[in-house]
Amino acid sequence: MISSYTLILGIALLIIGFYAMLTRKNLIKMVIGFSIADTGTHIIIVSLGYLRGKTAPIIDQAVSAVNAVQKVVDPIPSALVLTAIVIGLAVTAVMLSFIVEMYRKNKSLSIDDYQELKW
Amino acid sequence: MVSPIYILILSLAVGFLLSILDKGGRRLSLTAFYGVLTFNVAVVADWLYRFVFHHVPNLVINTAGFKAPISINLELGVTEAFVLLFANLTGLLAAVYLFRKFKESQVSSLILYLLLIMGVNGLVMTRDLFNMFVFLEILSISTFALTALTRNLKTLSSGFKYMIAGGVASTFFLLGVVFVYYFTGSLNLGFLDAGQFTGVSLIALFMLSVAVFIELKPFPANGWVLDVYQSVDSGIVSVIAVVNSAAVGFVFYKIMPLMPQNFLTVFGIAGVVTFFFSNMMGLKQENAKRLLGYSSVGQMGLLMAVLVFTANAPTNIRYLIIGGLFFNHLFSKAGLFWLAGIVKQEKTRDWTVLRNNKLLLVLFGLFIFALSGLPPFPGFWAKWEFVKVLVDAKMFFVLTSVLVGSLFELIFLFRWFTITVKEDNSELEPMASPHGSMVLPASVFGLLGSVAAFAVMKYFYGFGWLQVLPIGAVLFFYLTDFLPAKVKGFLSLGAIAGYGYCIYPLIESNIQLFFGAIFIVGSAVNLISTLNRKNQSRGFYGFLLMMIFSFGNLLIATSYLEFFLSWEFMTIASFLLILRGRKAQKASLMYMIFSTAGAYLLMAGFGFAPAPASASALILAIESVNLPLISIIVLAIGFMIKSGSLGVHIWLPEAHAEAESDVSSFISAILLKAGVFGLMMVAISYVSHAPSFDVFYWIGWIGVLTALAGAFMASFQEDAKRLLAYSSMSQVGYIVAALALITHLGWVSALYLVFNHMMFKSALFIAVAGIYYRTHTRTMYKMGGLISKMPWTFMTVLMCIIAVSGVPPLSGFGGKWLTYTAFITKGWYLQAGVLFFASGVSFLYLYRLIHTIFLGQLKYEHQEVREAPVWFIIPQFIFLGAIMAISMFPSLIIKPLNVIAMRYFDSSIQIEGLTIISDLGYWNGNLIMYVTMGVFAVPFILLLLVKGKTQKVKQFNIVYSAERPESPQTTHVAHNMYAHYRKALGSWTVPRVEAFWSGVSEWAHAFGGFFRRVYTGNGQTYVLYIIMYIVVIYAVMGVQ
Repeated sequence: MISSYTLILGIALLIIGFYAMLTRKNLIKMVIGFSIADTGTHIIIVSLGYLRGKTAPIIDQAVSAVNAVQKVVDPIPSALVLTAIVIGLAVTAVMLSFIVEMYRKNKSLSIDDYQELKW
Repeated sequence: MVSPIYILILSLAVGFLLSILDKGGRRLSLTAFYGVLTFNVAVVADWLYRFVFHHVPNLVINTAGFKAPISINLELGVTEAFVLLFANLTGLLAAVYLFRKFKESQVSSLILYLLLIMGVNGLVMTRDLFNMFVFLEILSISTFALTALTRNLKTLSSGFKYMIAGGVASTFFLLGVVFVYYFTGSLNLGFLDAGQFTGVSLIALFMLSVAVFIELKPFPANGWVLDVYQSVDSGIVSVIAVVNSAAVGFVFYKIMPLMPQNFLTVFGIAGVVTFFFSNMMGLKQENAKRLLGYSSVGQMGLLMAVLVFTANAPTNIRYLIIGGLFFNHLFSKAGLFWLAGIVKQEKTRDWTVLRNNKLLLVLFGLFIFALSGLPPFPGFWAKWEFVKVLVDAKMFFVLTSVLVGSLFELIFLFRWFTITVKEDNSELEPMASPHGSMVLPASVFGLLGSVAAFAVMKYFYGFGWLQVLPIGAVLFFYLTDFLPAKVKGFLSLGAIAGYGYCIYPLIESNIQLFFGAIFIVGSAVNLISTLNRKNQSRGFYGFLLMMIFSFGNLLIATSYLEFFLSWEFMTIASFLLILRGRKAQKASLMYMIFSTAGAYLLMAGFGFAPAPASASALILAIESVNLPLISIIVLAIGFMIKSGSLGVHIWLPEAHAEAESDVSSFISAILLKAGVFGLMMVAISYVSHAPSFDVFYWIGWIGVLTALAGAFMASFQEDAKRLLAYSSMSQVGYIVAALALITHLGWVSALYLVFNHMMFKSALFIAVAGIYYRTHTRTMYKMGGLISKMPWTFMTVLMCIIAVSGVPPLSGFGGKWLTYTAFITKGWYLQAGVLFFASGVSFLYLYRLIHTIFLGQLKYEHQEVREAPVWFIIPQFIFLGAIMAISMFPSLIIKPLNVIAMRYFDSSIQIEGLTIISDLGYWNGNLIMYVTMGVFAVPFILLLLVKGKTQKVKQFNIVYSAERPESPQTTHVAHNMYAHYRKALGSWTVPRVEAFWSGVSEWAHAFGGFFRRVYTGNGQTYVLYIIMYIVVIYAVMGVQ
């Protein structure tokens, strides 16, 4: 059950994020929207790998290597999500650094002020 | 044998070390940097060599000590190695191009560049979907950051748009990957197949594939990339346009086997749509780099379409198409972007500065030709095979879109080319001499493209040296261009003689021999007039010989492709020759556009045609080929464009008039006959395999109307060369009409007219060339009375117009006699009547030509004019001699023509001595000659007797009624000579055809201008497009 709630939450975040990217004129808010969508994606990933009543796929006192298969959730999405988070962070950082430079040059944070190139 | 995993390892390791190495000086870090890039190329090249020549099996690299699917694995096969070799090579060369930037920039750009290249290598080799995501992100992030290599508002804002768009696409990709795992339990391509995706799981596959597709920039979800192409540094853009696209395109190729057919079809069509619209919008572009951007986007669309629609083609053909287009786009687009960085002019109009640097100009031309899909570059072969695949699969919508899109692309590329070569550049500052590191990469790619072109010709198609000869001629004269023009002219004559000697044994029939005489001997005689050229006349003889050799190769071509190749070589060479004219920019462009439209029709027409069964020359082998109706129609239109039939003739007067004088005679007398030759080929198949619809009846009418319209238009010209041009159009109309009779006598007369026209039109054009050379004008009413100054030229013109007009005793009479007899025996009375009327009209322009130029008052400024140079007189009199010979002894020519036509029909004439007898009567040329001489002699003697009583009118004997006219030359009788006829014709003289075509052009541009408004420049709108695009594709594919 939990997994379907989280799945819905993830999808909701994804939609909210895209909505923000499409409607906010402020560059930083657009990036925040991207970040929300990204987070939504991560939640979706984790929820897909969740198995009811199982624990995190980390081998320690609670989970031994022998009974790991019965005890833990699918480890692959968990592994994927770690990578995805790092990548999302990097993309966000690059976006923000561009915004800083853009603001320095043009003194505006509105996406409407960056339409010089077109057609 | 170094494992390609080291490409990834070394790139990463050196990437991390660079910032430390940089402490020891930029020289050290640059060495390591270029070392790694070179290493990549070497490793992949080595593997490709092994795959191709030693057939080693695909290399699978497992990581982390496990086999897939437990671990991630990489695979390197021949396709991967092929893509990677050129991606890495472009990466290396782009880095060389950026050398001076990298010397001064922060070390981080070197690191980013290495990571980018590593991402490309990983993306191509990996078999794991999530790993693909990681490499895709490495590639994207480093690309995003590199867009700001030169930091200004434009690069930053376009970079931001790029990131937002890329971010959305990669979100979908990630979701797709995870859902694929959720539904199938695997991430490894080796353990996935199309069967695993049904129902809901198709959505997972959809997200994955549509995300990759968005990364390939489909129209209209691609506005961001155009901004990037326009603003970002050329070196980086070349990598984005070529290397990144190659890697992502390859990802698409890798996941294609998972997709069901409806996905593929939709993506394929989306690719075609992208190709079509990008090129249409490109028509309106004036910014060079943005133009290249539109073209790049279009090419990627085409590549997607090709990936999808060639799935059922034989493997080697499929590889040729995909590989050819990929490589063609890669080297030409990268090269053009690099040139854009060197030229540093935003507007295509300002690229004229390139003329200062011959090497760069040649490279520019080479890349433009390659990108337009002209031979011998790989894109040509790919397009040819692709058209065939589409025809076989009956995908006519795709076929039409691809061909029309290609034509758009050719139009804007060649407009750019002709501007660069011809437009005035006196107001621009000359281009600074570029640094060697910037020129080298483009040169390498230019060379590589040419080598690849040669390799395809030689090893894939097995063409011999004869087919390569046209290119060889260009190369030879490029290298010996320092020689004086006369030396090169005599060399060319020798080369033509040698060429004729070589192809003579390959000629199997009289019809080839006949056209050989037109093409080769006619060219050789025409070439004498070029010996008058002064100085070095650079770049002339190479293209001239290319054209002449291509004419010859048409005769001996044994397959459609061989024929078409020579046809295209001929077009290229003649285009470049026309372009040499001083004001020929527009004329040559128009010629190229019409020729290419014709060429695409030929390509399609040959695609429809079943392959000939025999190995003899195509003109013979075609006899046994049953051409389908569509093929006949399409081919006939294609050939009639080249012969300037009514409706598609508007290139003809421009090209003839604006080409250099000695080139015009080649175009009119010989090039137009190539169209006739092609049409004849179609007709030969038609003779024995006539379809139910009588195509040639209508072709006959077109020919008749062309003859009439051409004659009228010729009469209204003030410019001597335009007059002759329209006259050529009219004469070729007669030929086409006679050919369309599909009877023995019709063909005899058509061929007779071909021969006759070749001779008198060559002589006339050369005569006018001589007049222009002396008087520097082509406007006829500015001349007059030249009979006393140029008697030899007068003699030629007089004889030739008698020969044209068809009055006895010269050869034209025989032509007319044969033609009318043929029409009447066929029963085409109305057509015969119209032709007869057209002959009457042709007296108008012929009279105007000789009267205005040679008779009347000698103009003051022409007092010092002398006879034309001897090099003009010699060919004229050779042709005159031939005309006299066949006028006296028509059976000299009628006999062989009779034999040629007898191959296809029963003979309808008898030849008894000097007399030719048809069903309707007989013609004895010899007798007529004597009779006419007698008729001529009597008044001549009479005139001599009364000569003493004539008074010579002098310049000032004319009375102006006490007033001086404002512009005296307009009072000349020859100025607007047939105004009254023009008035009588009323609205018939409105140039409707020109108006029609300029309307077509205006509409195409207007549509282009309309559609490109979708690219508002707003990053948010672009995101909206992407999301909407995904929704639309989703709906169209009908995924649940």
